[in-house]
Amino acid sequence: MPAELLNTVDIDSTLQKEPPQEILRYALSQFDNIALSFSGAEDVVLLDMAMQIRPNIEVFCLDTGRLHSETYRFIEKVREHYNINIDVLYPDGSAVRQLVKEKGLYSFYQDNHQECCSIRKIAPLKSKLLELDAWVTGQRKDQSPGTRGTIPVIQDDRLFARANETLTKFNPLANWTSRQVWDYIRAYNVPYNELHDRGFQSIGCEPCTRPTGPNQHEREGRWWWEEATQKECGLHASNVKKA
Amino acid sequence: MKITLVKKILADGSPCKKCGDVLQKLEESGHMSRIDEVLVADERDPDSAGLQVAKDLNVHRAPFFVVEKEGQAPEVHTVYLKFVKDVLEQNTSASDEALEIMKDNPDLDFI
Ligand code: SF4
Repeated sequence: MPAELLNTVDIDSTLQKEPPQEILRYALSQFDNIALSFSGAEDVVLLDMAMQIRPNIEVFCLDTGRLHSETYRFIEKVREHYNINIDVLYPDGSAVRQLVKEKGLYSFYQDNHQECCSIRKIAPLKSKLLELDAWVTGQRKDQSPGTRGTIPVIQDDRLFARANETLTKFNPLANWTSRQVWDYIRAYNVPYNELHDRGFQSIGCEPCTRPTGPNQHEREGRWWWEEATQKECGLHASNVKKA
Repeated sequence: MKITLVKKILADGSPCKKCGDVLQKLEESGHMSRIDEVLVADERDPDSAGLQVAKDLNVHRAPFFVVEKEGQAPEVHTVYLKFVKDVLEQNTSASDEALEIMKDNPDLDFI
């Protein structure tokens, strides 16, 4: 079905009530050219669910060059466990070289993480998404109430769509809590990143991730040296009158 | 083809910084002549034309561009450099575009 025929807002209101497996089933029934983004963390549950529906689903992963060795080992373990290919994406070598030459290996502690992330994550992701009609992420509302409190389970991804075409993004775990994710991992013996056993709730690049203590939100383990940025570009929808 | 730019006025009446930057870049590059209409999304006024367009097109950020072509659904562009490349067909740097995306979309921290 051509993605442009999907009214993502209406479908979202229906799918919001569905469990992740049903959202995934819907996504895979609508798109052949779809891939699942795997971060090497607890979003492995999504991969496990997808394997039950389409065992040959395309999976990709971003290797920023700065991941923990435990995460590399975990990605390999997942590849073997599910007997799948994982398309590991890399940043452009000359862009990384330029950044490091100009600003060193830890520029993000001085400026912020945006430039480094744009080179190591966004650019390779952007290239990959140009190949796809739809993608699936493991993001959840409870991971970051500040930036993800309202994520839909299906959305029109205008940021990364090819020119004059559409890209659909599915977030099947949007309404699941960390507790539900971990209940699933334990119930189905899903392999997980060993860093979780060492206090890492959220796992990203090694220099930008740290374990969190009791009563700390998982986001406090990521880019902890940065102030919460002002999200000036948001439009305050509450100001918009209902039709 | 009709191109509309929607810029924002914040709830305290001040102009949005990114909108100002985008307008300046459009002027400097001579691309402003390609913009047919500029609408204001005034956070103090729910009836403002820009906010109504944002609501109709399900856009949650500004500035943004709406490109209308006869017989086709309107296209929305929220990334300035992507708009410049895809609609105005001008060369842009891939790394500048990636940085713009990163700066404007804090929700991408899930990646
Ligand atoms: S998380 Fe840190 S090391 Fe990784 S890409 Fe972003 S800034 Fe760079």
